[in-house]
Amino acid sequence: MILSTIVTASLALTGAFEGPATEGAPLPAPTPTAEESVLQPISVERAVAFKAKRVFFGDGNHVDDGIVLVQDGVIHSVGADVAVPEGVAIVELDGMLSPGLIASHSYEGLGAEHADSTRPTMPEADIAMAFQPHHVDFAKTLAAGVTSVVLAPSSATLIPGTTAVVKTSGGKVVRRPAQLQVVLSNDALNWNSFPTSHAGAMAELDRLFSEPTGQIARATSGNLPVLLSADDRSDISRAVSFAGRYRLRGAIYGSMWAEDLIDQIAKSGLGVVCNPFDVGEDSRGMRAVVGLAKRGVRLGFGLDAPNRDPENLRFGAALCIRGGLDSKLALKAMCSDAASIAGVERRIGRLERGLDADMVLWSGDPTELTSSVVAVYVDGTLVHGGGE
Amino acid sequence: MMLQLAGALCAIALGTTEPATVESTVIFADAIYTSTGSVIENGAVTVVDGKITAITPGKTPGDDDVHVGAITAGMIDLSARLVRGPDTVEQTQEITPEMRVEHAIDWFDAEWGRQAESGVTTVLLSPQDQNVVSGLSVAVKTAGVPELVKRAVKRDACLRGAMGRQPSNGNHPAFRRPTDFFSRRPTTRMGVEWEWRKAFYDAAQARAAGEEATAGARGILDVLDGKRPLMIQAWATQDIRTAVFFKEEMAMEGFGELTLILDAAAEAWREPELLVRSKAAIILPPLPDFGRADDGAFMALSTAKKLVEAGVPVALSSHGAKADRDRLAMQGALARRGGLSLEEALAAVTITPAQMIGIADRVGSLEVGKDADLALWNGEPFQATSRVVGTVIDGVLLVDPRNQ
Amino acid sequence: MRIVASRLATAGLAMAALAVGSTSASAAATEMSPPATAAPQDDASADEVAEESAPVHVLVKASRLIVRPGEELENTSVLITDGRIISIGAELEAPEGATVVEGAVVCAGFIDPWSALGMEEASRVDRGAGPATKASDGWSPYADEHLREEALRAGVTTIHLQGGSTAALGGLGALVRIGPSLGDEALVLSDVCLSATVGLSADGGFWGGVRAVDPFDRMQQIDRIAQNLGSGQSYSESWAKYESEIVEWEKAIAEKEEELEKDFKKAKKDREKDIEKAEEKGKEYKEKRYKEDRKPRRPKVDRDKAVLARVANGEIPLVVEAHRASEIRGLLDAIEAFKRVRLVIAGGTEAKSQAERLAERGVTVIVWPALLGSSRYDEYETHDLSLAGELAEAGVKVLIGSGGREAAATRDLPLLAASLVGHGLDRDVAFGALTIDAARALDVADRLGSVELGKDGELIVLTGDPLASATRVQYVISAGRVVVTPED
Repeated sequence: MILSTIVTASLALTGAFEGPATEGAPLPAPTPTAEESVLQPISVERAVAFKAKRVFFGDGNHVDDGIVLVQDGVIHSVGADVAVPEGVAIVELDGMLSPGLIASHSYEGLGAEHADSTRPTMPEADIAMAFQPHHVDFAKTLAAGVTSVVLAPSSATLIPGTTAVVKTSGGKVVRRPAQLQVVLSNDALNWNSFPTSHAGAMAELDRLFSEPTGQIARATSGNLPVLLSADDRSDISRAVSFAGRYRLRGAIYGSMWAEDLIDQIAKSGLGVVCNPFDVGEDSRGMRAVVGLAKRGVRLGFGLDAPNRDPENLRFGAALCIRGGLDSKLALKAMCSDAASIAGVERRIGRLERGLDADMVLWSGDPTELTSSVVAVYVDGTLVHGGGE
Repeated sequence: MMLQLAGALCAIALGTTEPATVESTVIFADAIYTSTGSVIENGAVTVVDGKITAITPGKTPGDDDVHVGAITAGMIDLSARLVRGPDTVEQTQEITPEMRVEHAIDWFDAEWGRQAESGVTTVLLSPQDQNVVSGLSVAVKTAGVPELVKRAVKRDACLRGAMGRQPSNGNHPAFRRPTDFFSRRPTTRMGVEWEWRKAFYDAAQARAAGEEATAGARGILDVLDGKRPLMIQAWATQDIRTAVFFKEEMAMEGFGELTLILDAAAEAWREPELLVRSKAAIILPPLPDFGRADDGAFMALSTAKKLVEAGVPVALSSHGAKADRDRLAMQGALARRGGLSLEEALAAVTITPAQMIGIADRVGSLEVGKDADLALWNGEPFQATSRVVGTVIDGVLLVDPRNQ
Repeated sequence: MRIVASRLATAGLAMAALAVGSTSASAAATEMSPPATAAPQDDASADEVAEESAPVHVLVKASRLIVRPGEELENTSVLITDGRIISIGAELEAPEGATVVEGAVVCAGFIDPWSALGMEEASRVDRGAGPATKASDGWSPYADEHLREEALRAGVTTIHLQGGSTAALGGLGALVRIGPSLGDEALVLSDVCLSATVGLSADGGFWGGVRAVDPFDRMQQIDRIAQNLGSGQSYSESWAKYESEIVEWEKAIAEKEEELEKDFKKAKKDREKDIEKAEEKGKEYKEKRYKEDRKPRRPKVDRDKAVLARVANGEIPLVVEAHRASEIRGLLDAIEAFKRVRLVIAGGTEAKSQAERLAERGVTVIVWPALLGSSRYDEYETHDLSLAGELAEAGVKVLIGSGGREAAATRDLPLLAASLVGHGLDRDVAFGALTIDAARALDVADRLGSVELGKDGELIVLTGDPLASATRVQYVISAGRVVVTPED
């Protein structure tokens, strides 16, 4: 405890954030989860073993002819040499399994409820109160292999509220609030109400964050990650220095212009959630992603469904792969990185002991657009496809 | 110096030093104008680690060396526009002394490169003059790492405000129900002066009554206490007068002694004795076409000359204009045409603006120990036939004359 | 130059002579000989040119050569000389001065049959376009330079451009190569097809310039297409009639002349006798009227109708952008009466319900995998990515296009094709759609779309499977030169 304080203090002196693994470092091994201790012993009636040609763990690694042993919707064990107890049903799957994909910024089920511009700052506004759990948007997103989305308020005001992580089947809320959203782009500015300038916006943020209460206090104490919306380079550099000033952890939402600031972003420890990629997207956006990934920055892909087709998530990843991104890192961005950015890495985002059994069976490698969704499982239950 | 040493020791102790590279450059010129009153012929300026370490006469350049017609200190523009439009001024209120324009800087604007190429090495950025008192300005170098802390020469360099008609633009009287917050005072010049007085009186009286100062009031009290200068945009004669009388009123009431800088004071030539009396410094805008500048002000070719003759400190500026003709190199040439000597024109774009905002310890002249900010010319400076062909900022040769 | 022989020249060569709007002045069929490097020149300078320019060779070595979908060769080389594939084989020698490139996978360059790259926006939506307006006039080979480079690096070498999307008929489409600095060689064909759009109008709207029309206007638009086809057909018929009549008339004149030649004197005497007889009787002598005075009247030349005639006769296809099922049905009904019209539907979002009829009639559908969400301003349903697979299964010929609206979208054509494969389209069919099927639909299958002898050498060299995300294009050969090399 004392040692960690000294370490933190000395980090504070140098004013540097420990960045994540740099280029060339091997991908980190999966970390054990807290739930491990509460996993029940295998019961033949409740357990199922899924065997697939290839199992992607979601952290960039995979294993061939892997088995995922699931009980009560939770993964018990995963690997090539899992010992399946006698009597447990084994489902042979013709395809490749991956964790359910996670969209790091989306608007399913929100209708017109994603933007409340009555006041410039509403940190206590909770998006989880605004979505319809059984809206058809979720079914469409699920069919594209996305099992969880980070629902977010749109960037209409300075602090529009908090995000929530929601499963696309059954409307289950995985975590709320997930992140405090702060908008540092021109979207936060108004022409006839406060704030009209970046100076005014920053003055207000300084006022709130230097004497924080409620959700803002949780953010400044490190208990609630932030999602900083930025459009262009000056927004991103303002976001990085703002996060540094208040020792905030979290991610920047807005990768399009990040290419020139890769150094600063990598040093800050912040992750980056990419704007959804459209057909014909400017290659500047892809170059930014490739550069950030090389520096080990955690990445997530935004989707903004239903304004965009859910296929856009993998399409954006494919555009980045065409631009030079390692396909392992592309899948990681849609799985474990996205979960880590949203603070739900202990629940979803990896096929690993103790995490929810949210998985997708693909006809091939999920980063290839030629692969299709064969079946989707949420909490161990088949919820889409797989009809025979 | 002590701080630097301590910092270096800290860095070594924590094992985070960067490798120490000593950048040493020598630039040769037929004439070196130091802005201290001397001209060195056939000399060289030696730059080490971002600072000027020597200015030596009688040195011969080699074939590969940088050799130009003239070297001057990098020019300083106190009225540039390197921040974006209406979103640099917080318009919900007319008096916003606590707002800082440094939050709105776009480090990637192509204009930085153009400024550096034109020989301007330090600029003072201010909020747009839509408000009566718009906020705090910041002086920054025009090239370097895109981070405020590294680029800033002086943060909160001065408090910016405006007199005249511009702050009242956009406001309309609220005869009926207000449609937006622009239904407010001031709507005229008189209203603008009223706002000035009210803000300063309120702040001073609150202090006298022993009340806790708000952020805005603190900003005003700082200028009254002389912590930083007050820069007021005042184009026309009546606005210049108002500014000077305002300063005198504040002094008479006992609130404090303002250090006054008048920006865009195009008609300052009419009553220079007022300016001398109030010890105001003047920033001139670029020479307008047909003599007419903003707010009906009239500026002649001889304006700078008249003010210098009267003993008023004068700085030239581009006032945010981007055309080559409006930048400092050309404005200096026009000022010479209007009667200034080369030394006077040079001072108006280097040492005088540096002294106005208190950064003369670092920039503004070619002296050993100052920042290595140099403008390299292909001939005698401020001639129509000469131009800036190279720029050095913090010892880095940004624009190489050999590539021109 | 237009190679007429490859068209369905049912109206015969005479028709080509009447096509006043086309580029070829004298439309004789040309053979598959090594081509001239540019447009036809006069003889004097042609000799000079032939002397100066030595043949340009490019040798491409492939570990895996995809000749056409489903047909592959291993460890094969392709020799391209002056832009034509003149040799394909296992061990080819590189001629002197040849550029040699090598790669894992080699195939024909992709064709985007519905693109907007390089097209001036005003021309693309021009309401004042007519059948004879040419898209190639609204295209600039220098526009969108970095977008063209990106598209080239994604493997797309040739694109089809259309103009006048808000006019009743948009005009003649153009087939264009997008390589850099190709000069005259960039324009492959300036009259590929006649294009039309159903469902858009030029009347402003919030989105500026183009908005969807109401159902009555849409039906009117289809009616107008039918009417235009009708007038094109009657124009072609009137010209055909004139042609045969004039031939007959000339025959009659020739016969008469022959007669006169044979026995001029007798005829003269007969005539004098007749004149005498008439004078005796006191009547006026009536001159015999020859057929010469009853020459068949030439129909008025109408450039617009001439183009419509070509469409009605099936010489060039008709490409119509239509999305709703009612529009597609309407179009199919409209062309019932025109047996030779070759219809291509661009978009076809709701074509699934009409799949059988489309297959029967041999209609090609250019699918646009737009990945659009639900907030589009158009009323029709969002684009379903399984459309292409379902249409192909029903026997409809399917092509893949980038939508003809965003210039930047052409670059993503291969990835869009991959998305369709992921939603049920057969892999080989998808690859064919990008290459040989697109070439066939646009009547350039003799020149483009596959790696075969005699065709143009428009090839791409890739690091892997053409539809895989991780694949990179290393080289592109277009107009006989290597126009793209790997970036380092």
